Amino acid sequence: MRIEAINLDKHFRSVHAVKNLSFTVEPGRVTGFLGPNGSGKSTTMRLMLGLDNGGGETLYDGKKLASHLPVTRTIGAHLDAKFFHPKRSAYAHLRMLGAEAGISKARVHEVLKLVGLESVAKKRPGGFSLGMGQRLGLAGAILADPQVLMLDEPANGLDPQSIQWLRDFLKNYASTGKSVLVSSHLLSEMELLADDVVVIARGNLIAAESMPAFLSRATGSAVVVRSPESEKLAEVLSAQGISSTTDGARTIVIPGQTTDRIGEIAFTNGIALSELSPRTASLEQVFLELTESGQEYRLGETS
Amino acid sequence: MIANLVYEWRRLWSVRATWIMTFVYLVITGLLGAGPLFLGEEISNGQTWKGLYSTNANFLCLVMISVVASQFFGHEYRYGTIRLTLTEFPKRERVVLAKTLVLAVYVTIATFLGWAVLGVIGSIAPEGSIGTEGPGISINGGEPSELWQVLVFGFAYCLIAMSLTMITRNLALGIVLPLLTFSVIEGLISLFAQLANGKMDWIVDALPFANGSAWLTNVAESPNAGLIFAAWVVGAYLIGATMFFKRDA
Repeated sequence: MRIEAINLDKHFRSVHAVKNLSFTVEPGRVTGFLGPNGSGKSTTMRLMLGLDNGGGETLYDGKKLASHLPVTRTIGAHLDAKFFHPKRSAYAHLRMLGAEAGISKARVHEVLKLVGLESVAKKRPGGFSLGMGQRLGLAGAILADPQVLMLDEPANGLDPQSIQWLRDFLKNYASTGKSVLVSSHLLSEMELLADDVVVIARGNLIAAESMPAFLSRATGSAVVVRSPESEKLAEVLSAQGISSTTDGARTIVIPGQTTDRIGEIAFTNGIALSELSPRTASLEQVFLELTESGQEYRLGETS
Repeated sequence: MIANLVYEWRRLWSVRATWIMTFVYLVITGLLGAGPLFLGEEISNGQTWKGLYSTNANFLCLVMISVVASQFFGHEYRYGTIRLTLTEFPKRERVVLAKTLVLAVYVTIATFLGWAVLGVIGSIAPEGSIGTEGPGISINGGEPSELWQVLVFGFAYCLIAMSLTMITRNLALGIVLPLLTFSVIEGLISLFAQLANGKMDWIVDALPFANGSAWLTNVAESPNAGLIFAAWVVGAYLIGATMFFKRDA
């Protein structure tokens, strides 16, 4: 199911939290939703779900969410790890959430087993850890096997094994043609998980594109070449207007170029290469570069 | 709409507070009903079945089920589950309608259970303590109410509690505001009105629970009491519902 967020806009009194935001979430892909604290990610998700009133609209396969019935077979949302009554058992919580789609008791048990909460199904979730709360929230979201999953910081509080499980689960989920929109502050995790990214800062759209395209935006992306004839290669490149820097005895770094292009030049000039590799920036580097000016709550300098 | 109702029904009965408050409501109903029957000859001789069955319209009883009524929205906002509810049911008017209908069913069940408890108490009361002559004793003052009045008043009280929770988004305020208004604030206003030599009588004439009680106990001097009380109930409900529709979840 394709999601189109169109001109989403939200004011909180004098604060313009979300500014005319438009992007799409494609089916069969995991879309990472990134932004600094206070950038408007959660507000945007609430606008997309119709929980907050604001400008713009969100269409799910061209229609509003309310016209997809049952709604829970269309979208499953997990917005907070503590959205449950602390004295309603995990099982009863899911039974309640399963009312709209007519979810069976067997399915509730199945989902509880899937997220690893079967042993505490009858326990009150008030005593659950943050990670267990996340699992319960995720269980609620996937209960009706919806076409769209919308998850706000689902990895917060999860241990490394659970994070790996979540990554595999979401990738598998998307691979069946479903759409996954997931926000996270864990950028290294998002780099492994997301196929596409939507980046916002101070409510403005910074980027909405594929992960490779986003990573290529970094000023630090370059090609690293190791060659016994590195000096000759540098001269050839210079003659073609391509700058390079020496990085060790036989290694040169060529910023802003592709491996295909450099390999072709080396081959044409008969230069042997020992190594030809891209040096792409990490998601964290690109994210920090692009959102630096858009940080809502700035940190102080560390000594 | 059936799904909305199922959701609300499961939400209502899956927390222990609902069971506990209903139980407490029945205990208080029983104790208040038993009082006039067991506490002394001079009192008990005046009671009737009609008077006995008016007992659970007393505000001490209604406060208990108004806790449950406030939880319809109070728990949702307190624990954030309103966002789950509205994601599942984006049409907010259906959410309000479902909560109102389930509240009506809940109050009906609680009231009938209260009458059952009173029936048991009446049947084990000392012989002759319940008569057939006279109007009987209403613990709410005035004359004993008809059964349907007890049911409607209970629902109206709970609807006010639910509406105030919709407006304030605060479980405690939804419980305390009607209770304080009923038991303290309206009394103070009436007192001030007396001191004001009639200049504030129009306020006293428009008080919600004073009119509600007058209607419930069939006070002849207040023929419009039922209408005034109904206007307050409907007004609070409409304001609450409108705010629920318009505000962010």
